[in-house]
Amino acid sequence: MSYINLLKENLKEHKDNYVQIFRLSIADLKKTYHGAALGWFWAIVKPVVSIFVYWFAIEIGLRKGGDVGDYPFILWLIAGMVPWFYMNELITGGTECIRKYSYLVTKMKYPIMTIPTFTNISKFLVNAILVVVVVLIFWICGYPPSIYLLQLPFYMILMFLFFNAWGLFAGMVSAIGKDFSNLVKSFVTAVFWLSGVLWDVEKLAHSNLFFKIFFMINPITYFCYGFRNCFVYKKWFFEDIESLCCILGLYLILGFLSLWAYKKLRKEIPDVL
Amino acid sequence: MNNDVVISFQNVSKEYKLYSSNRARLLGIFFKRVPYKKKLAVNDVSFTVKRGESVALFGKNGAGKSTILKMITGVTYPTTGEIRVNGRVSALLELTSGFDQEFSGRENIYLKGHILGLKDSEISALEEEIIEFSELEEYIDQPVRTYSSGMKSRLGFAINVNIRPEILIVDEALSVGDADFKNKCKEKVNEIINNENVTLLFVTHQKSVAEEFCKRGIVLKKGKLKFDGEINEAIEKYVSIYKKKKNK
Repeated sequence: MSYINLLKENLKEHKDNYVQIFRLSIADLKKTYHGAALGWFWAIVKPVVSIFVYWFAIEIGLRKGGDVGDYPFILWLIAGMVPWFYMNELITGGTECIRKYSYLVTKMKYPIMTIPTFTNISKFLVNAILVVVVVLIFWICGYPPSIYLLQLPFYMILMFLFFNAWGLFAGMVSAIGKDFSNLVKSFVTAVFWLSGVLWDVEKLAHSNLFFKIFFMINPITYFCYGFRNCFVYKKWFFEDIESLCCILGLYLILGFLSLWAYKKLRKEIPDVL
Repeated sequence: MNNDVVISFQNVSKEYKLYSSNRARLLGIFFKRVPYKKKLAVNDVSFTVKRGESVALFGKNGAGKSTILKMITGVTYPTTGEIRVNGRVSALLELTSGFDQEFSGRENIYLKGHILGLKDSEISALEEEIIEFSELEEYIDQPVRTYSSGMKSRLGFAINVNIRPEILIVDEALSVGDADFKNKCKEKVNEIINNENVTLLFVTHQKSVAEEFCKRGIVLKKGKLKFDGEINEAIEKYVSIYKKKKNK
């Protein structure tokens, strides 16, 4: 019962403070690209460079990759990398968010639950721009937008909510001790390589039940392939209801954990930060 | 609650958990058995402050003054007891922090205003006043990380006294800047508390300044409330407690 109240409190804090949340997310965005002469340009350069490097290593270096259906490997790669950039930022950024904004916790009365939200929104906006760029790239390469792109907002919002819960949980826990954020940092690369951002998980998933379950309950895989369903595979999200249920189940668990962390640590965090 | 009472403390205690290391603290989230020391910073304190009152808090370092002020601002929570605060609190606690280092002074004015729930139009009406008061001039558009500590304190003071607080908390903040600026601050605080509706809580070691602003004094020692009453008596009490210690 108390968790339902916490959830209500969470929603209420967001409702009451939505103007501040939006302003702070713009401020967060500005801050990220502040102090660099080229500013916004870097938001595009970073992903372009890493996509190029991975493409070069796999397609040219290892001579793997190869076309996926009608699509060249690099387009397949881009479709999966774009959500990964967002997730990568949020896995680490969400863990750091409360530490980063410690002055909102220790120097003034501010609703803590909204801190992950506004950092999340600022990353989300950058990612939305990237998604538009990707649509354009596909178009230029001769693949005009299809009706399947309509489900992109669905995946993006699902991703947003998922990592919002993560941000609250991870941010609260790592505010108590840095160990947790170190743990996350050291596993983020592992998560990247294990989740099929760079290589096709389908074959492996079909070969072995363990891998099938592993990829099914892996949110990173789900979102990467969700984006690929829109751009490359042309599948609707409701065609794979099993995976969707897994993700919603995970979301419930994470949501529960984040509220647990909040309940447990809310009063302690201002004293230790 | 009576509408005239703006701050009420009822049997408030605050206990800090001191773990032996960060690791122990992290483990303490998951396991209850992890040992920690308890430090009682505030011990069963009760008092009420009415609208328009100005109260001085006395006490040596570690008496629990800052913890009490932090609880009033709503930054930290009591372990037991109940606190009620009624009105917009503006706290001059640790003036140099609480800024976003990457933003300019001007952007920080807006940031703070927004967090305190002011509208854009309200802030822009106060903006010039704040900048003028802080004497930062053209530095106002530079990032705060480039400011000296004096500049930060001046800006912090200027923001907090100018956003029309209902409860003003001043924690040793009047020792900011040169003599001229100090006088200006004192004048400003006087101006604010002469307004009937503003409540002042004042923490200082300078007895003369406290006498100037406050009619009531509270003396704290080791987290306990030792005296609550008229300012002159409070000062006497404070001095005598201090003396006793010295004679030992």
